Amino acid sequence: MRSQHATNRLASYSTPLILAVLLVGLVVLVAVFGDRSLARTAAETLVRVTLVVSLWIFVGNSGVISFGHAGYMAIGAYCSAWLTLKPQSKALFLPDLPEWLMQAQWHVLPAAIAGGLLAAFIALLSGAAILRLSGIAASIATFAFLAIVNTVYSNWEGVTGATSSVVGLPRYVDHWVALGWAVAAIVAANVYANSASGLALRATREDEVAARASGINMYRHRLLSLVISGFFTGVSGALLGHSIGVLNPDSFYLGITFISLAMLVIGGIGSLSGAVVGVLLLSVLIELLVRAEQGISINETQLALPSGSQEILIGIAMIVVLIVRPNGLTAGKEFKLKPQWLRQSRLVGAKSTN
Amino acid sequence: MSKLGVFDIAVRYGKVPAVNDLTLHVDEGERVFVSGPNGAGKSSLLKAISGAAATSHGRIELDGDLLTGRPPEAIARLGISMVPEGRDIFGSLTVEENLRVGTGLRRDAEAVEEDIAEIYANFPILGERRAAAAGALSGGQQQMLAIGRALMTNPKLIMVDEPSLGLAPKIVDQVYDTLCTLQEDRGLTLLIVEQSSLRAARVGGRMVLMRGGRIVGEGNAADMVDRDALAAAYFGQSPEKTETAT
Amino acid sequence: MSNLAQLFFDAASLGGLYAMAALGIALIFGVMKLVNFAHGEYIAFCVFALIVPSTDAVAVMFLGKAPALILIPVILGLGAAIAVASEYVVFRHLRKADPVAMMIASFALGFVIRNALLATYGGRPKAVSLWPGLNTPVDIAGASVPLLQLIVILSTLLVVTGLALLLKKSRIGLEMRAAAENFTMARLLGVRANRVITGAFALSGALAAAVALIMVTQTGVADVRMGGQIMLVAFIATVLGGLGSLPGAVAAGFLVGIVSVVLQAWLPLEARPFRDAFLYTLVIVCLLVRPQGLFVPASAKPRV
Ligand SMILES: Nc1ncnc2c1ncn2[C@@H]1O[C@H](COP(=O)(O)OP(=O)(O)O)[C@@H](O)[C@H]1O
Ligand SMILES: [Mg+2]
Repeated sequence: MRSQHATNRLASYSTPLILAVLLVGLVVLVAVFGDRSLARTAAETLVRVTLVVSLWIFVGNSGVISFGHAGYMAIGAYCSAWLTLKPQSKALFLPDLPEWLMQAQWHVLPAAIAGGLLAAFIALLSGAAILRLSGIAASIATFAFLAIVNTVYSNWEGVTGATSSVVGLPRYVDHWVALGWAVAAIVAANVYANSASGLALRATREDEVAARASGINMYRHRLLSLVISGFFTGVSGALLGHSIGVLNPDSFYLGITFISLAMLVIGGIGSLSGAVVGVLLLSVLIELLVRAEQGISINETQLALPSGSQEILIGIAMIVVLIVRPNGLTAGKEFKLKPQWLRQSRLVGAKSTN
Repeated sequence: MSKLGVFDIAVRYGKVPAVNDLTLHVDEGERVFVSGPNGAGKSSLLKAISGAAATSHGRIELDGDLLTGRPPEAIARLGISMVPEGRDIFGSLTVEENLRVGTGLRRDAEAVEEDIAEIYANFPILGERRAAAAGALSGGQQQMLAIGRALMTNPKLIMVDEPSLGLAPKIVDQVYDTLCTLQEDRGLTLLIVEQSSLRAARVGGRMVLMRGGRIVGEGNAADMVDRDALAAAYFGQSPEKTETAT
Repeated sequence: MSNLAQLFFDAASLGGLYAMAALGIALIFGVMKLVNFAHGEYIAFCVFALIVPSTDAVAVMFLGKAPALILIPVILGLGAAIAVASEYVVFRHLRKADPVAMMIASFALGFVIRNALLATYGGRPKAVSLWPGLNTPVDIAGASVPLLQLIVILSTLLVVTGLALLLKKSRIGLEMRAAAENFTMARLLGVRANRVITGAFALSGALAAAVALIMVTQTGVADVRMGGQIMLVAFIATVLGGLGSLPGAVAAGFLVGIVSVVLQAWLPLEARPFRDAFLYTLVIVCLLVRPQGLFVPASAKPRV
């Protein structure tokens, strides 16, 4: 006989399981029935799942909107590129890299982890400063952080290639690799959210002032969640680089900031399931819109949406969701096994609540 | 004819009910005290009347005009003015600017100037400090300013939420003297939240007693004090204590 | 000496531009606690209103052909109109939402406007020559100063004093200040919420238009991105000045402009491209020391 508390706890650990099963199911379907372009779309989507779940680890728990995560992505992506590119091409395109980095030829997995670690370290430094500010001011400071990263990476000619793209990254990220990282991020997000720190942080989300008064050290918890979030965001950047094979500072600027926030908001900032649902839904929508922009022929008449309508329509969808359903489609609820199912019998469960 | 009519209203914050099944009538020129313990729903009642809080049930009328569902600025135009709990003075505005915020709905520019002159005559300290930031006034002065400010919309009904809060007894006497004089001069209707039933009895008027979001007693303030004392005997709360606590 | 004078004029004109942009942000934040991420796109919108809609590389003047006496009020009105329209279409429906939701909505709105501009005008920056005569230099105190810089400095002073007078002396100004401090109390006194908010958006949009006119004359370019950078500076200035404080926003706008010009002059050549990174880092460090803002008494609580 378990106490209600224990079954509730168990139920909350069922969320990542359900989400993982959902993603694995999708990937298996794609692997069995899909063609190569669908597999590519699946990989892209799963990279976005990794990104948005990482973003949720910070935003969903702290309630502070971050516009700076594309910066952590860039840091992870370039780090992995430095470690995995062939020394010859580095000598050619990135001549100012230090000698040991120039010669480095790491395996892709430790390189991705190193990208995550560097992003986490920068998250620690930047967060230590930014998170001293209160909610809205902190959000603006994250935006400034994004601009700092973009300025540095767009001008650091010999190290990042500045605005000319870095090419030739090993394209090892297929749907299976992306799936692995997406599931890892989901598990980490769930473990953090149910940890003492995650629970305390979510208590502060409702009322900053009251939480401060109750002695919760909001700053430390925010910083911890940002560091964990930064790690997986850095990894998602590395994955993005190694799935398209090309890096450019502007791929990690306003566009991806907007899309990832849109996914989070539409799915629902309040829950991990919301983050995943948002990515899946918007990815399908984006795919449809991209096809529509390329044109569909019906009875020999070519119909095509003007280019740019994808972004415009997603922006409008985001605003409509904020107005009509401010907590997003999942409204803060998680996919969970019902606690009753986890109890040995309903009768015993009912007694234990008394 | 009843001036203010509150019919079976309910107010809730999220799922928390603050006022339930509350019906109340206030006649023109009447002085009504609302009393009751903390959390009884007194402020919520006033907020519902002024439009600052939404009602989830029932209706509120003033002289036959329906107030329910109207925004606060529209209700102010119908002749209701409010001195909220904690006074809510605009601290960064000057004293005179505070008085003028509420004159936007008036078309009688000359009368506005006369009203301001009259307020300065009644409260010379406000006149002296008319150009000073209102946030620098003392608590008692702020209370006077809040009452003056409420007058400037030229209302028929003024609602005052706990005017004695945080003020020394002597200042509270002054505040009530002012309110009573104004009422006589202008034929105002007054609805006042006052925790101390002793104070209400001393000032005089009708009193309604609230508890748990409902009206649980009603009568002449002077008679109610005895009953309140009786209730206190049962509930173990002395009315004297409430007086000193406020 | 002349170098110093040059530096002074550069700093004053850039600071003035930043101050105007920051005022546009702070006005709206003051009355409805909205950090308006669409503000930069109002600026871009006003810039592109000068030229004929087309994706061609060469810009053909449209409104920009009109004489200044007509052009200036029309563009200011257009800026006010798009700001008021965005309030009506988007933010009005989010009045009861928390500031975070409004902020995200404004971010989305800005993205929509930006992409609409990209779709109609194409992504490449276009050369636009509006009032080219204004870039002819004038000699003052041994420095050769483009006429435009003088005009920018003068018009900033004009706009800032005009706005201060409006806020201090007019009915709507009084209502805006009261509403900024306590919106509910102002409404209880009969202040119309819609009037105040519409007024704030109109003023903010007109400020965006003024910034647009100055920027396009100075740079000679119409670029969708030009609103974004200055909006970021404006945000930073409003945080630095203390969120919600109008005088703070103006002062911080000038300060950021001055520091930016000084960095540009003193940084070694190879570090200059990184100027903005230094600038923003400096700002974050400043905020570490005074999280409530530079121009707000230390006793004041953060408003958000
Ligand atoms: N803004 C609010 N949000 C949530 N609950 C509130 C709010 N204001 C009041 N309440 C609750 O409503 C009830 C009545 O409060 P109130 O009307 O302020 O009572 P009173 O003025 O008689 O002390 C209390 O239980 C209080 O906690
Ligand atoms: Mg109360």
